Amino acid sequence: MAANFWNSSHYKQLFDQEEVDVVHPLDKDKGITLEDFKLIKMHMVIPICKLAQQVKVRQRVVATAVTYMRRLYTRKSMSEYDPRLVAPTCLYLASKAEESTVQARLLVYCIKKMYSDDKYRYEIKDILEMEMKILEALNYYLVVFHPYRSLPQFLQDAGMNDISMTQLTWGLVNDTYRMDLILIHPPHLIALACIYTASVYREKDKTAWFEELRVDMNVVKNIAMEILDFYESHRLITDERINAAFNKLKP
Amino acid sequence: MGEKPEWLQQYNLIGKIGEGTYGLVFLAKTKSPPNCGKSIAIKKFKQSKDGDGVSPTAIREIMLLREITHENVVKLVNVHINHNDMSLYLAFDYAEHDLYEIIRHHRDKGNNMINQYTVKSLLWQLLNGLNYLHSNWIIHRDLKPSNILVMGEGEEHGVVKIADFGLARIYQAPLKTLFDNGVVVTIWYRAPELLLGAKHYTSAVDMWAVGCIFAELLTLKPLFQGAEAKSTSNPFQLDQLDKIFKVLGHPTIEKWPTLASLPHWHNDVSHIQGHKYENTGLHGAVPLSTKSASFDLLSKMLEYDPRKRITAAQAIEHDYFRSEPLPGRNALVPSQPGEKVINYPTRPVDTNTDFEGTTSLQPPQPVTSGNAISGGMPGAHGINSRSASRPMSMGVQRMQSQGMAAYNLTSQAGMGGGMNPGNIPMPRGVAQPHQQHHLRRKDPPGTGTGYPPQQKSRR
Repeated sequence: MAANFWNSSHYKQLFDQEEVDVVHPLDKDKGITLEDFKLIKMHMVIPICKLAQQVKVRQRVVATAVTYMRRLYTRKSMSEYDPRLVAPTCLYLASKAEESTVQARLLVYCIKKMYSDDKYRYEIKDILEMEMKILEALNYYLVVFHPYRSLPQFLQDAGMNDISMTQLTWGLVNDTYRMDLILIHPPHLIALACIYTASVYREKDKTAWFEELRVDMNVVKNIAMEILDFYESHRLITDERINAAFNKLKP
Repeated sequence: MGEKPEWLQQYNLIGKIGEGTYGLVFLAKTKSPPNCGKSIAIKKFKQSKDGDGVSPTAIREIMLLREITHENVVKLVNVHINHNDMSLYLAFDYAEHDLYEIIRHHRDKGNNMINQYTVKSLLWQLLNGLNYLHSNWIIHRDLKPSNILVMGEGEEHGVVKIADFGLARIYQAPLKTLFDNGVVVTIWYRAPELLLGAKHYTSAVDMWAVGCIFAELLTLKPLFQGAEAKSTSNPFQLDQLDKIFKVLGHPTIEKWPTLASLPHWHNDVSHIQGHKYENTGLHGAVPLSTKSASFDLLSKMLEYDPRKRITAAQAIEHDYFRSEPLPGRNALVPSQPGEKVINYPTRPVDTNTDFEGTTSLQPPQPVTSGNAISGGMPGAHGINSRSASRPMSMGVQRMQSQGMAAYNLTSQAGMGGGMNPGNIPMPRGVAQPHQQHHLRRKDPPGTGTGYPPQQKSRR
């Protein structure tokens, strides 16, 4: 359904963590570890965001693009589907799906402007071919639901819809796309976990409000823990570590 | 290309059945079990000319069709990509008839009106499918008789399927001229608020179209047959509006308050507001008693103010559907014994066109050795020279996002949206066997060629 999450293909194809954390055999052969795999996916969110700013599309398009990319790598290898081409192509496809189409020509122009690196030298033709491969790999399921939709309602209901809180939670939601959360949890639970994290961070006791919600707070807290773990470990990641992971992908 | 993609080999191509601005529609048959011989309509999207990959129209169409399942909405059974020429194919369950053909068949036969049971059943199923779409925030935006398909013989005989393209018509003009003319969409079913320049679509535009189609089923001719003002991107169509005013009278600010905010109501004051029609009324246009339930329903569908217009959900609850004859699942076969069964003609198929869209005088090449693409249909599908050209339409589009209800914690039970949301009694209309069924397919019913159920696993 286009409007109801519980009837949607998104809901039906939610994954378990163990299903997402599988390194494709082809990548394993190149020495890619689970940590490398997660690092590369996390890192590829950055060029998608940068590119989106250049071509002026909204955050939801970025979120959809990242979701496509993460879904793709549950099925396909990074060896065959180069992340540096997959990332802009997912943004290209997401821009069409989210009704804010960006021309492939413009994307290629922006990529060339952003990176002097030869590894990012892709032509329009490459993007168009990859678009079809991704469509096929996604099995043509393109509707994605995001935490952004329920966030304002929750914040208002919890009496936390001041500008500072809204900005904090919105930023937290943006950062959840550095992880695989969108593949694993219903988006409203991700939104709640971000609100929970923000309320703890700002030392606002919202226990009563959360208790009134008919949701499994264990899941919400687990998601919040994962978000906190991400921030903790993220500080320790160096450029060298990321480059080392990418270098393993070289043919 | 020479090389046929692998997926194509699961079908026998019968021929071309339609053509539009972005591609072609073919009739094919499934070659292998469990759906051997099942008819499939394959819509081919061409690579967009401006070098921008899969057309956004195709993307949004696939995206929606992949999410929706309803008995009265056409079923997408497969999507295929030909990487060689970057073309995209959508495979649908094939429907033998459409309302355009059904209406035309009756009109050409002379004073032969469509049976009341059939009109009511077609309308109910159309509304039922539309209610499903609307409750999922999908507006069709281009409903017209050629987009309302009706299944031919088989398990789903006489079942209405809302589709997004006119499956019919063999074209004569080459694709290019269709491109040059831009998108040709008939304006006869367009709601007055759109004609007057409303910026936002609501589901009420579909209900207006249903009203027009309802009247056309009753009279066999389009209710508002305006002449289209071409070569303009302006939605303002004076003649179409005039045709509407002639029947319904002019709209007034009193009855339709937001009329004042519509651009063309102001811009063309002299034309639109200038002259008045006397003695107008819907009763003059349709053969219905003004006291009948059918007249009441029709007039509520043709309400000027989109906010007052009846919704699909309200319409399927209307008294019209609760009175005899009750609507049935097989709209083409009257439930009353003794009623005449109409044998509607089958769709014309151009058997001289292959999947590349090239026409040849030779029979098409076999897909694989021993499996000729052409032929294989029992009778009826000879080379047809009929040329009534009807373009495919723009298709199902998403509703404006401002109307997208957020799912929330209390809506976990889902949307319902089943086949009979109003719990209207739907007598199955296939009680008695009848002579048409001698050609019935051999494959067991209910074995759809759909995708395997999506499992919660990695694939």
